[in-house]
Amino acid sequence: MKDTYWEGETETMDRRALQALQLHRLNETIASARNSDFYRGKLPVRVERLEEIETLPFTTKQDLRDSFPAGMVAVPKEDLVRLHSSSGTTGRATVVYHTKRDIDVWADLCARSMYMTGMRNTDVFQNMMGYGLFTGGLGLHYGAERLGALTIPASSGNSKRQIRLMCDFHTTAFHITPSYALHLYGVFCEEGVDPKRDLPLRIALLGAEPYSEGTRRKIEKLYGIDAFNSYGLSEMSGPGVAFECTYKEGMHVWEDAFLLEVIDPKTGTPLTDGDEGELVFTTLRREGMPLIRYRTGDIASVNRKGCPCGRTHRRISRIKGRSDDMLIIKGVNIYPMQIEKILMDIPEVGNNYLIEIDTVDYLDTLVVKIEVGQKTFHGTISELEGLKRRITDLLRTEILIHPKVVLVEHGSLPPSEGKAVRVIDRRGEK
Amino acid sequence: MASQVTVFVENRPGRISKVTRVLADNELNIRAITISDMGEYGLINVVTNDPDRAEEVLRKEGLTVSRKYVIGVMMEDKPGSLADIAEFLHKKEINVANAYGFILKEGARAVLIIEVDDFTHAERVLKKGGFHTLTKEELENL
Repeated sequence: MKDTYWEGETETMDRRALQALQLHRLNETIASARNSDFYRGKLPVRVERLEEIETLPFTTKQDLRDSFPAGMVAVPKEDLVRLHSSSGTTGRATVVYHTKRDIDVWADLCARSMYMTGMRNTDVFQNMMGYGLFTGGLGLHYGAERLGALTIPASSGNSKRQIRLMCDFHTTAFHITPSYALHLYGVFCEEGVDPKRDLPLRIALLGAEPYSEGTRRKIEKLYGIDAFNSYGLSEMSGPGVAFECTYKEGMHVWEDAFLLEVIDPKTGTPLTDGDEGELVFTTLRREGMPLIRYRTGDIASVNRKGCPCGRTHRRISRIKGRSDDMLIIKGVNIYPMQIEKILMDIPEVGNNYLIEIDTVDYLDTLVVKIEVGQKTFHGTISELEGLKRRITDLLRTEILIHPKVVLVEHGSLPPSEGKAVRVIDRRGEK
Repeated sequence: MASQVTVFVENRPGRISKVTRVLADNELNIRAITISDMGEYGLINVVTNDPDRAEEVLRKEGLTVSRKYVIGVMMEDKPGSLADIAEFLHKKEINVANAYGFILKEGARAVLIIEVDDFTHAERVLKKGGFHTLTKEELENL
């Protein structure tokens, strides 16, 4: 048992005992949350049964934005040691604060997750997720160190250096977005390195963006490894909320740390296991910023059936979609509204634009098409190129994504009356 | 004063034929045409015998059109004519944004179309320098 699990007792805990633990921790969370400006007066002193969670109010992304910068913090400032923030436009960012113990618990959950995939302290772990405000990098970094693996904080990008590091230090496990894994394979070929033959790679942890089962199999085949699906969100600290075990049939949600519900996104009514709905989480072990019934917007279903791996924590399916229009581009969460607001503020653009998201060489591209109308056009190239540059710069500063701006003829985009579709996501079409 | 119409087009097959067909259907005669290629889009510049009407009919077709004054300088069709004009403009510190030419009669006359920032100033300087610049009427009756 010691070899199979990181925290065997918790991971294989009898469901009834697990629920008792959840109830105990839910009441701790409620007591703590009542100290924050946001939850003050909104919560009962305690609940007697786990099912009573349904009587508590939801917390939404908008609530997080509205309580910027620190309206949900439940502890004195001196107890906080870290914050992570979304890349959102100034004033709209969502911020999550952590105490020292929160970072500790998070590292443990990540270590537990990585251990579950078969990673051990003999592994060399290359973390190719962005470090910084984005939680993907630091989350698994702390987890890997907790696990005892030799950790290479490579961060994202710079493909040739990634390959160099893998070759020099004999990387055995890596954390990567699926699209980047596919892209990186092309660079491997250019460099004349066959990852399957030349490297001791054995495990990839895939995360931060939706992808298909086919893509997983492709990555496994190209690299000659096992690839594991993971789930996390910055509001629930980051990666380490749910992870696949070696059976790869759904992701175990760490229910000792997160209280999971699935609801009908339209009515908010709780659904039964097996039904597809919106995932809702309550933090059970976070001191700095507890969240009650946080609506993730992610659509999935829950599998309560026992897993051959012996863990009792329920599994969730792949994320099937979003209950809102959030897009994940290059691992960054973006709402079309953020792009639209920027474009509409440029007088030459007005309503005549179309946003297209596509995949080129396995990487996401954001194309913004702008109609050139009579008002914008005075016959000079410098004016048109200036407009393109201005749009590119604004989008890059505001949403941290480098778009390709394409000028098109007047009348070539769908008319803008009513609820015209302004965002076309072509990534799933191939 | 001579003028050209500039049409904004996407870089895809059929756009030049669209513009020229509209002009042909309205019995407009093209004196000169150039295209500035910017990758995904381009600008088609046309000098016609009737720029007012050219602008009107192209707009009516839903095309994005701009009208710009240009200078048509008459020159002899022989080696060195263009160099003479270019040197003169250089000496007078007049910057040329775009230029293209066409021959009226082989071995006899040719026209150089130039786009400049300060149209009035450039035309005055050229006239003073002894160059013949075309009027609107002259261009119509070429």
